[in-house]
Order: sequence, then C-alpha cells, then structure tokens
Amino acid sequence: MKRSLLTAVTMGAMLLGTSSVLAQQVTLQFWDNQQTESGLSDVQKAAVERFMKENPDIKIEVTTVPYPEYQQRLLTAVQGGNAPDIATLDQIWVGAFAKAGAVADLTEQAGAAGLARDNFFGGAWDSAVLGGKLYGIPFNVDVWQFSYYNKALLDAAKIDPASLSTFDGLKAAAEKLTTSGKFGVGLFGHKGEDTVVVGDSFIFSNGGKILNDDGSCGLTEAPAVEALTYLQQLSKFAPGGILNASSGDMRELFLNGSLAIEFWPALEQPTLQKSKLDWGFVNGTAPEGKTPVGTFGGWNLAIFESSPNKDAAWKFIQFMVREDVNGDVVDLIPANKKAATAFLEKNRKDPKVIMAHLENAKARPLSPRYLELADAQIAMFQEIYAGGDPAATAAKACDAINALD
Amino acid sequence: MKQKRSTRVVLTLMQVLLAIIVLLPFFWMVSVSLKPPTEPFAIPARLWPDHPTVENYVSAFRPEFRTYFLNSLVVSLATVAITVTLGLLAAYSFTRAQIVAISALVGLVVLAQMFPHSAIIIPIYKMMRSADLLNTYWSLILAYVSVTLPVAIWMLRGFLLKLPAALEESAAIDGATPLRVFWDIVVPLSRPGLIATSVYVLIVTWQEFLFALSFTSTKEMRTLPVGLNDFIGQYGIRYGELMASSVMVSLPVMAVFFFLQRYFVAGITAGAVKG
Amino acid sequence: MRKDRRLHWLLLAPALILMAVMLYYPMFGTVYESFHETSFLSPDPKFAGLALYRRILADRTFTEVVTNSIVWTFGVVLLQNILGFLTALLLNQNLPMQGALRAIVLLPFILPGVVAAILWRFMYDPQLGLVNSLLLQTGLIENSVAWLADSRMAMASVIIAAVWKGFPFSMLIYLAALQNVDQSQIEAATLDGAGPARRLLDVTLPAIRDVIVVNVVLTLILTFNYFDIIWVLTRGGPQSATHIFPTKIYESGFGQFRFGEAATYGVFSILVLTVLVALYAIVQGQANRRRAAA
Repeated sequence: MKRSLLTAVTMGAMLLGTSSVLAQQVTLQFWDNQQTESGLSDVQKAAVERFMKENPDIKIEVTTVPYPEYQQRLLTAVQGGNAPDIATLDQIWVGAFAKAGAVADLTEQAGAAGLARDNFFGGAWDSAVLGGKLYGIPFNVDVWQFSYYNKALLDAAKIDPASLSTFDGLKAAAEKLTTSGKFGVGLFGHKGEDTVVVGDSFIFSNGGKILNDDGSCGLTEAPAVEALTYLQQLSKFAPGGILNASSGDMRELFLNGSLAIEFWPALEQPTLQKSKLDWGFVNGTAPEGKTPVGTFGGWNLAIFESSPNKDAAWKFIQFMVREDVNGDVVDLIPANKKAATAFLEKNRKDPKVIMAHLENAKARPLSPRYLELADAQIAMFQEIYAGGDPAATAAKACDAINALD
Repeated sequence: MKQKRSTRVVLTLMQVLLAIIVLLPFFWMVSVSLKPPTEPFAIPARLWPDHPTVENYVSAFRPEFRTYFLNSLVVSLATVAITVTLGLLAAYSFTRAQIVAISALVGLVVLAQMFPHSAIIIPIYKMMRSADLLNTYWSLILAYVSVTLPVAIWMLRGFLLKLPAALEESAAIDGATPLRVFWDIVVPLSRPGLIATSVYVLIVTWQEFLFALSFTSTKEMRTLPVGLNDFIGQYGIRYGELMASSVMVSLPVMAVFFFLQRYFVAGITAGAVKG
Repeated sequence: MRKDRRLHWLLLAPALILMAVMLYYPMFGTVYESFHETSFLSPDPKFAGLALYRRILADRTFTEVVTNSIVWTFGVVLLQNILGFLTALLLNQNLPMQGALRAIVLLPFILPGVVAAILWRFMYDPQLGLVNSLLLQTGLIENSVAWLADSRMAMASVIIAAVWKGFPFSMLIYLAALQNVDQSQIEAATLDGAGPARRLLDVTLPAIRDVIVVNVVLTLILTFNYFDIIWVLTRGGPQSATHIFPTKIYESGFGQFRFGEAATYGVFSILVLTVLVALYAIVQGQANRRRAAA
C-alpha cells in the first residue's frame, strides 16, 4: 500500500514536472512568403534566433511558401482549421481574413504597447484596419511605382529625366525612345496585382479614386477615365504582348538594355545596382504641376484567432516591428518609419526621394472583397490595353464593383 | 521486315525531326541554365549563351534537393504499389463477380475520375488534419491513391476483360480456389496491364502539385514539383537556377528510362493490349 | 458461389471505401455547397436553392469557360493522339538509335508540369522567347508575335505547349500496342500486295482499336482537368480567352474566396466532362457497329 502510494506520488510529480516544462516552452508557427532572390531567409533566421534567445520560453518555427501559392496555402490551412499562429498577410487580404473571423483583433494590445499609426506609414497602418479595429501590424511596405530609366538611352535621345514625372513628358519621351529594337515604356497588363497597383497610381496621380468616400465605384469619374485614356495612349510605346506581360518580364527587357523606362517599387534598386546599367529613377508620374501619388504595397503581421498562444505571438510581432529589428527582416522597406529611414539610408539610392513618395502614397481600397474588386479592375485594364473605349470599360468595371455588396 | 533504302532515309530524317521538336525546348532550358546570372537575356534569343558557366548549378545544387527527390520517389512508388494492388483486386472482382450492383459500381468509379481536384481539396485537407496526417508521406500517398484509383481500376478492368476465360475456368474445374486462380493465372497474365497502369499512376503522382503544396509544410516533406518553386518569388523568377535544377532532376529519371525502356516495352508487349 | 461473392466484396472493399471517403464524401460536400451561399467571408452556409446555378448560367464567362474547355480538350486530345501515334509508328521501325530516341521522347513528361509551363511561358515571350527568335530568323514571321497575349492565338499556343508535354504518354501506350500487332497478319497483307498505307488502315489500326479508345478517354479526362499549364502560362487570360473549368474553379475559390461559386463550377465541370465522354462513347459505339455491319 505504502509503496504504491509512493509510486503514485513519484509518478504524479514526474507528470507535473514534464507538464510544467511543456508549459514553459511554447511553439509558434510563423508563415511567410518568399518574395525576392535576396538571401532574406538567412537574415530572418538570425532574427528568429535572436528572438528565441531573448524569449527562451518561446520557440518559433518558420515556414516559407513561394509567393504564387501563398494565398491558396493560407486559405486551405484556415479553412482546414490548421492556421499558423502568426503569418504575414498581403495588405489586400487583411479585410477578408478579418471579416471571416480568421485573424485576431489587436486594437487593445497595440494601444497598450504604444504601437500607433504615427510609428508606421499611414497607408500601411490603414490597410490593417477594418470597422475601426486593428487586425494586423504593418511589417513591410513599398510603393508602386518609381519610373526607372536607362541613362544611356535617355541621353542618346536627349531627354531630360525630370520630364518623365509629368504625363506629357513621359508620353513624349516614350514615343521618342521607341525606335527599332528598343521600347519606350514597360507597361504590363497580365492577370496579376502588379497590373492593378501601377494602373491605380496613374488614377491616383490624376486625382481619381477607385472607390468614392461612400464606397461606390469611382472609376467612371472624369479623373479616372482620363488616366485610363492616358494609359491607353502610353501603351502604344510598350513592348508587344502587354496582356500577358508582368513586371518581371519588363525587368528582363530593362536589364538587357532594350527598354528605356520600367515601373517598379523601390525594391528594384538592389537588382539594378548589381547590373552593369547606368540608371536613375523618378517618383512616378502626374499631370503638370501635381505631385505623383503612388500605390502602397506591402505585408502586415497578423495573429490567427485559432492560435492558443496569442500572447507569445504578440511578443513576436512586437519584436519583428521593433526599430532595431524591422530593418533586418524585410527586403521591401520596414513599415516602422524610424527603421525605414535608417534602412533607406543604408540600402537605397536617393533615400529622401523615396521617403517623399512613400509619404504621399495611397492605399488600395479597404474592402473584405478587395480581391473581387481587383479582378474587375484587371479586366478593365486588359480591355483598355486591348483598345477598348475607356469610359465604357470603366462603366463596366463599376457595374461589377458596385454589384459586390 | 526489310525496308527500302529510300524509306529508311526518310524515316531516319523524320526521327531527327522528332528529336528536334522534343529537344529544342529542353535544349534551350539547358542553355538558360548555363547562362551567367549577370548576362542579360538577348534579343533575339540565342540558342547558346556567350559565356556558359555552371554557376547556376552550383547555387541550385542544395542539400534540400536530395530530400525533395527522395520524397517524390517514396511517395510516387508507394502510390503506384498501393494503387495498382487495390486497383487490380477491384478490377478482378468487377470483371468476375456475379454481383447485381456491379455495373452501377463501375459507373460510380468512372464518374469519380472526373472530379476536379481543386473542388475537393479543402474537405480532404480537413480529413487529413483530423487524422493528424498533415505533413506526412501518408497524407500524400492516401490522396494520390484515391485520385488515381478510379482510372487504374478502369484501365485494369479493360485488360482483365480481354483475358481468355478458358484458363481460369479450367483451373477452377481443377479445384483451384478463386484466390489461387487470381494469384497464379490472373496476376501473371495482366502484367502488361499492370505496367501500363503503373506508368500512368507514376506520371500523375510524380508531377502532382496542388495536394503536395497544401498537405506539406516543412522543407523535409516537400516533393520536387513544390520544391522547384523555391525559385519563384513575388518579384521575378530565377530562371537560371530553376532551369539548372530542372535539368538535374530530369537527367537521372531519363537515364533510368533509357535503361529500363527495353524491359518496359517488353513488359507491355507480353500480350494483353491485343485488340 | 455465395462464398465467391463474399470474397469479391472483400476484394472490392478497400478500393470502394477509399473512394467513398476520399472522393465521394468531399464531392457531396461540393454539391451541397453549390446549393448554398458560402464564401470565406461568411462561413455559415445559407440555403440558396438554384440561385448560384442561375447566376452562373447567366454569366457570359460561363459560356466562355464551356467553349474554351471543349476547344482545349478537343485540340489537345486530337493532336496528342495523332502525334503520339505517329511517333509510336516511327519508333516501332528497326532504325538506328531507337533506344536513345525512345528515352529522349519521354523527356517532356518527366519534367514536372509547373517547370514545363514556366519553360513554355519563356519560350513564348514576345521579345526574349525562342519561338519568335527562330521564326524571325528563318523569315517565317516579320514582326514579333505575342502568342499568349493575343486572345485569338492564346488558346492555340497553350494547346501546343500541352501537346508537347503530353504526347509521350500517348506514344508509350501506342508503342506497346503496336509491338503487339500480329506480324504474320502484316506479312500476309504485304504478300497480298498491300502498301504501307493499306497495311496501316486494314491491319494495324483495327488491331489496336481498343488501345485507341483507352488512350482517347484517358487523355480526354486528364486534359479536361489539367490545371498547371494554363495557370502558369496565362492564368486563363487574356480576359477569359483561355479560362477552362479547373482554372476557373481555382480562381473563384482560392483567388477570390468564393467557395459557393467554385463548387457550382465544379458540379458543372463534372456534367460537361460526362457529356463529352458519353458523346465519345456513342460515336465510338456507332463506328463499331458500322464496322461490324460492313
């Protein structure tokens, strides 16, 4: 009797012992997508190691998914009840994931930790807000688009790079630069989000809106239709095959010296620095006298509602957006403004110019049904580039967008 | 059979043409894989880079590749073995059993091969999760066996229907049990059908992407088609390394086929595809 | 006899159970979803009757998807089988280097589908691609052609890529069948004075008739449900010029989070494919009867 009691006590103690060890070690699943060829994953690994050293009770397991499949992979996991604890979400997905109840409301934690809109780029912060509640913390940002130009080609055609930042200047330059075997401007219109962000920036720069303040479609308003008409005219000076071309395709043409102007975010700089090209850039394009307005892109960190370890996850998010960490773990631009300044100084040409473009940039519409909205826009841009009537095409897109809710 | 000299020349020329059609894209793939990362793509495209280099191969040859390759091999072979076994058993019963419901069941099998995978993947994912099989070989093997089984049954049933009944009948009269008949007569005779079906199953599983992507999460469990996608980012594709790794992946498989094709063709030839 | 029956049920059981659990159960879920309004955003399904069906039938995209699916399937199946058969004929002669060639021909299908698709997207690139480069250099075209960006040419272009990838599979099966054709019959026909064409039509083709049926039906089903090539090459674009059922289902479900719509497209997809297979069976049956009557 005594002995069995003793055994029971010992065993109980052992069980308690193991369970307290288990309680100490929390394992978090963190999913991210793979964006560029830079060796980001190594740097990120180092940061994760550092976090685990600072927080010995938390273990982070990182899963990296190739970008083209990231959306499907996340969706399947959420639907299958197997979401990670933390993931980076494209700005344009946050609305849908929040509406579906998949990601946690972070409003209180952020307030308590002193994380506020002022610490981040406004457009990036807003992309994580739905119905006044905060569903993610901006992780990285960039802006579409900068117009990168090939100096040699511009010099040969006697074009002043500064002229590229106006609608008329860009069009005149593109026309002049389009000669046999060379292409003026790298417009692209495949079924992808890069088509939308570039198109949006022309609409924004012309004072247009995708959605009006009341949520109705704004593409049929004059500034938007004018921008579409302009894009259609510009497309004459782009390499053939716009409807299946992506920003990546245009990069290859720019790198081999046959394309004079390409549209990319600031992220393009490291690639160009490695090339033998003599290049420069201007901040997008606007009508004479107006400031170009770019479109924000980037990723937010979100905690999934299903995570049993939200507190630990929140610690990790705070760590990842800290001023001294954020710049090391992104290859776009850190969303933390202070980190961004240092990052740009260190890694990018003309950091102040980039900063100005970031400050001016606008976010894409905040809607849980953004993906369908973007689809209607892609159909619209494709029809514009195929020669459709801008006003009629915009009206069609608005019909589709207004039918969404 | 003797052919005229001129016929032989024409046929040989056609062979060359065939080889060119097949090889041209592949040749270009090799060419891209040998292009230095710093050398931009030329217009018009060149068949061969100016300064070929193996740089891409060096950077693409990562230890993970061996894992991906091995995973693909394990999953594919296991799927082939299980599908073909279950398929043959089912096809045998479908063709030999006197069960009233048989033709309805065959209809259900035929229908099942028409289900689009992207429409059924989420429910299957949920089941894998409840069975705690996610990120294991079994999740992939089970899914692959299920989606290839209908076609396998249907193919094998076609082969079995053509086997001469006389052999089985005489064996049955001699007192052999149905299982004996199956093992001693049906299995050897359906070898060609088994091989053809195996090839089909192997091809489907070797390149399957959607399930592999959804059910595996760690690098240790990834299969080749998903692993190769590591070279595709949001901002561009590393063509050189992607092509280099594709070449590395294809060569061993091609070598295997080269040495096995004699047996393979002989296997199929052994008798049953007869009309 | 009863014991036999029990044995047969036993042999059938594993396959049937697996298919019931892994294919029919999810498919019933899909059919159920098609009668309900569900999406990622509103996970609780609300019964909607035939509303989704009506909405999709009224949508112009649906007509395009059906037409495209038929053109795509018909094109790939036809070309792949013809090319596969001709290749098999060619590789069935006693010519030098056949062993090597048989292995080489298999290359396209060893390549994982996604890689083959990326390779072809690059081949078709209007400026950097090999296709335009060769055609321009040989003078067959004067200006670069945007193969995948022109809605009149995109479908033909994806079909060619798919045939390149798929014909070795048909070739393998035809080759095996050809090697099985009774040589004595061919020799007898030769003695009767039949030329190569006659021998092919009168002896070889009838002898491998069943293999042709197997091949056609297999490629038909595989092609109809083939996703990788089109998704990587065009994503169903430009506009909807190359959208087929699998790309549309994927786009609705995973791309736009509209599960109900994806499910309904899934149900339609099975219906259309069933009709295609049935039509083929009827045509084949008639041909057989005619042959039997002749």
